[in-house]
Amino acid sequence: MSTSAPKKPWLKSLNKPLASLKLAVFILSSIAVITAVGTFVEARYDAFAAKQWVYNTWFMYLIMGLLCVNLTAVMVDRWPWQKRHASFVLAHIGIIILLFGSWMTMQWGLDGSMRVGIGEEGTMVQTPETDLVVYTSFDGDRYTKTLEEEVNFFKNPPTAEKPYLIPAYEEKIKVVDYYKYVIPSKKVVADEKGRGGAGLRFQLQNPNVNIIEWLVQRKSGGTQTQDFGPAKIHLGEAPVHGRGENEIYLTPKDSYLDYVVFQKDSTKPLKKGRVKEGDVFDLGYKMALQFRVLRYLPSAIEDWDLKPLERPTPLTTSAIKIQFQGREHWLLLNDMLKLFTESSVYLMTYGNRRTDIGFPIKLKDFKVTRYQGTMRAMAYESVVEVPGVGEQVISMNEPLKHKGLTIYQASFQEEQGRPVASIFSINHDPGRAIKYLGSLIISLGIVLLMWFKHLDFKLKNKNQNS
Amino acid sequence: MKKLCAIILILFASTMAFAKAGDSLNYLQVQDGGRIKPYQSFAQEMLEIVYGKSSFEKRDATEIVLTWMLSPQAWQDKKIFEVRNHQILEALGLSKDQRHFTGEEVFANDRFNILRQELQAKREAQEKLDPYFQAVQRLENQFFIFQEIAAGRMLKIVPPKEGTTWVSVSELPQGPQEKFLELTKAFVGHIGATATTEDKTILKEKGEALDKAVQAFQEVARAENPALYDNDGIIKAEVHYNDFHPFRWAYIFYFLSSLVLLMVWALSKESWMKTAWVLLTIGFLLHTYGFGIRMYIMGRAPVTNMYETVVWVSWGVLLFAAILEIIYKFRIILFAGSIAALFSLVIADFAPAVLDPTLQPLEPVLRSNYWLTIHVMTITISYAAFFLAFCLGDMGLYYFLRGEEKNKEKIRAIVLAIYRSIQIGVAFLAPGIILGGIWADYSWGRFWGWDPKETWALIALLGYLTVLHARYAGMLKQFGMVAAGIIAFSLVVMAWYGVNFVLGAGLHSYGFGAGGVEYVSGFIAVHLLAVLYVGIVRSGEKKK
Repeated sequence: MSTSAPKKPWLKSLNKPLASLKLAVFILSSIAVITAVGTFVEARYDAFAAKQWVYNTWFMYLIMGLLCVNLTAVMVDRWPWQKRHASFVLAHIGIIILLFGSWMTMQWGLDGSMRVGIGEEGTMVQTPETDLVVYTSFDGDRYTKTLEEEVNFFKNPPTAEKPYLIPAYEEKIKVVDYYKYVIPSKKVVADEKGRGGAGLRFQLQNPNVNIIEWLVQRKSGGTQTQDFGPAKIHLGEAPVHGRGENEIYLTPKDSYLDYVVFQKDSTKPLKKGRVKEGDVFDLGYKMALQFRVLRYLPSAIEDWDLKPLERPTPLTTSAIKIQFQGREHWLLLNDMLKLFTESSVYLMTYGNRRTDIGFPIKLKDFKVTRYQGTMRAMAYESVVEVPGVGEQVISMNEPLKHKGLTIYQASFQEEQGRPVASIFSINHDPGRAIKYLGSLIISLGIVLLMWFKHLDFKLKNKNQNS
Repeated sequence: MKKLCAIILILFASTMAFAKAGDSLNYLQVQDGGRIKPYQSFAQEMLEIVYGKSSFEKRDATEIVLTWMLSPQAWQDKKIFEVRNHQILEALGLSKDQRHFTGEEVFANDRFNILRQELQAKREAQEKLDPYFQAVQRLENQFFIFQEIAAGRMLKIVPPKEGTTWVSVSELPQGPQEKFLELTKAFVGHIGATATTEDKTILKEKGEALDKAVQAFQEVARAENPALYDNDGIIKAEVHYNDFHPFRWAYIFYFLSSLVLLMVWALSKESWMKTAWVLLTIGFLLHTYGFGIRMYIMGRAPVTNMYETVVWVSWGVLLFAAILEIIYKFRIILFAGSIAALFSLVIADFAPAVLDPTLQPLEPVLRSNYWLTIHVMTITISYAAFFLAFCLGDMGLYYFLRGEEKNKEKIRAIVLAIYRSIQIGVAFLAPGIILGGIWADYSWGRFWGWDPKETWALIALLGYLTVLHARYAGMLKQFGMVAAGIIAFSLVVMAWYGVNFVLGAGLHSYGFGAGGVEYVSGFIAVHLLAVLYVGIVRSGEKKK
């Protein structure tokens, strides 16, 4: 002790400013102000924006780091600790442990969501990070992944001056703009290069039904199918025999389409013929459905009309603007885009990261109980099947734990008053135990605070008196 | 003392109205808002939505709402629709000098349809509704409710043979329909009599006829599905709760005890302390009783909306004040506590549009009763301690203004009480926030997510921790603590009221509401100015 004694004051004096109460007050009020701003950002925009702009930022991390330094320094300063320091030490150590646990969660944790339709299986969990992936093909059939990169356009939006560049064979693909909040509506335009698939806008009509839709082939010669209720409509080659359902095949030719109509409970074609843009024909069904070709493009591409908004609503998504070979395209979040050149095809996806959890979750059933006489949900639960676990019920506050993951019932999707899919929140939290330990220590410290502050006070009085 | 108790007993007895003839209509079981409630509650809630009050021209809601259905045309030229929003009045081209309008004035107006379309557009775009559109929504709701009640579709009074949705008046099966017709005849006879005669025997006769008709109806309704009609206990409790107003009685006693405490304080009548304690205890028991009934009716701890937390916090303020008073015997603590409880209960009673006192079912996310109850109660009870510190701070300001030297002892006592209250608050708030984290982890899979409600609770905690640290370091002396007790409470107001009523964002959406912002911010501003004023006066005096 005697040798270290002279050193101590020196160390202490170095430590002093870090342990100062002024610094503590500064840190506490900074955290308060920053997070308060965060709540206003969340109210004006949404939770994601608040995280990106306020909570997950360098200044937030810095202030948290400073807090840890300050807490440690002040404990060093009070060394050697006495009995009356117990609450102070516990509370401060508890906070450091809690913050450490949170850091572990941030570093190695997983917090994503998975949507599983009733009767379907899910294995991919979606997280908020966004990735840009590019696949390249020289023959239009075999694709190789040529780029996969995490991007955060929300925080660092690309601009025309500072575009995000993607290497490609002919010239660089440029991401030149980013819209945070847009309401997209689909539009179909003719492809001058003539490489896209065919596009058809049609009307299906009888006294009860009136459907107007676009069907666009993903690639030339492929088949695009959509079920419209009264009938299934295919844009592509027609088979010789039907499947015994109400189906309409429209095969694109140069300036016209050949159609074949199949009927329920019969494999033989009900009707065949040829139509041009503007033509109408009766499908021959009992329900007197008429089919009208409103627009026919032998080669079409889909694009988006975007309406940018200042603030998000549940209907908005984000989009990036791509510039390539003198043309501009919009790519929506979680969508894909094909770019054609003379010799190659580039398929780009921009979307939230999807991670394989390593086992499938099959949604066997989904039940909603409602408050009597209303549509208000009272409780809901999913019956799932997971290999190795078997059938299991996941409900609000009753998660399923499997292979280090916790699967929570988050919400559900409804169509026409009936649930169609369940949404799970899937989570892996390596810092959980640490955070709980920290919480426990803090609470202990606070309980002791009441007691020891009293002691402290008494001691002070005694000292003053003597 | 005995005399006092006797007076109180008589007071009660006189108001615990004995069952009056004709009252059984109140107890009719109605399915509404996801639960079974007495017709009385249904009628009061509906009238509250449409007219903004629970009675119309001194006539009971039960009577008014039933006549909407029996003769809607009689209401055509009555001013029963409340419109308060000035922007809407302007949009509808209505006079701003009045608050109530006829259906014709509001809804037959072409401009109402334009407003509705605008609202529909907002809904389709799924945009957040601002106060203006919330008011349009209320207008639409008023229209809808009146129409549906008039058409007999809203009042669901017979349990179904299968399923859970009750049968409304417009679809009643033969048996119940006949009995309901008789009920309405008896009802018309009864209100006719109340309007025309004061003869007690006739009134009693008509009332009994109504009771009989209601009973006959209840019997056939019960016969439809006895298992679903088995809610008598809850219905009785709720009607009693509606009639008795336990919280109103509680604040009357708090008011009396505050008066007595003021005497003790101002006139130094030490001997009156006992009386104050008795009055306060009675108030507190009534308060607890009301809380208990709500709990019994809903089968959960009543801390899930603003009104319920205000009631709970005022209960906590009194509890903490009583405990600290017993320890320190400063008297002023009890005074501050009873004033605080009085103040918050009065507000809860007089602002039903902002603080909704109706009993509402829970959102699915809140249905894990245990953790919900624990974390909300822990956090809000800490607000009670901070509220006590706030009120004590007000008194501290008063003494500082009256002269620091003269009131040295009092100020010392107040500052100690503020300090203790803040400590109690911190001791509940910090574990409460942690418990909230545990609950979030348990039901959503994340311990902390920067949700505005949790963030503001944390900010309040940081604020009070700063105060405690600053006091410990000697940065805050006596006036500092008084000022801190008042200023830091604005953080609590933001966490408690502001997040739900100003920000309106985040996962704690079940408590959202609107209204009162100008009053609450005014209240806070006045207090901050008072602190500033006393601070300036004080520094001026020191210079002298």
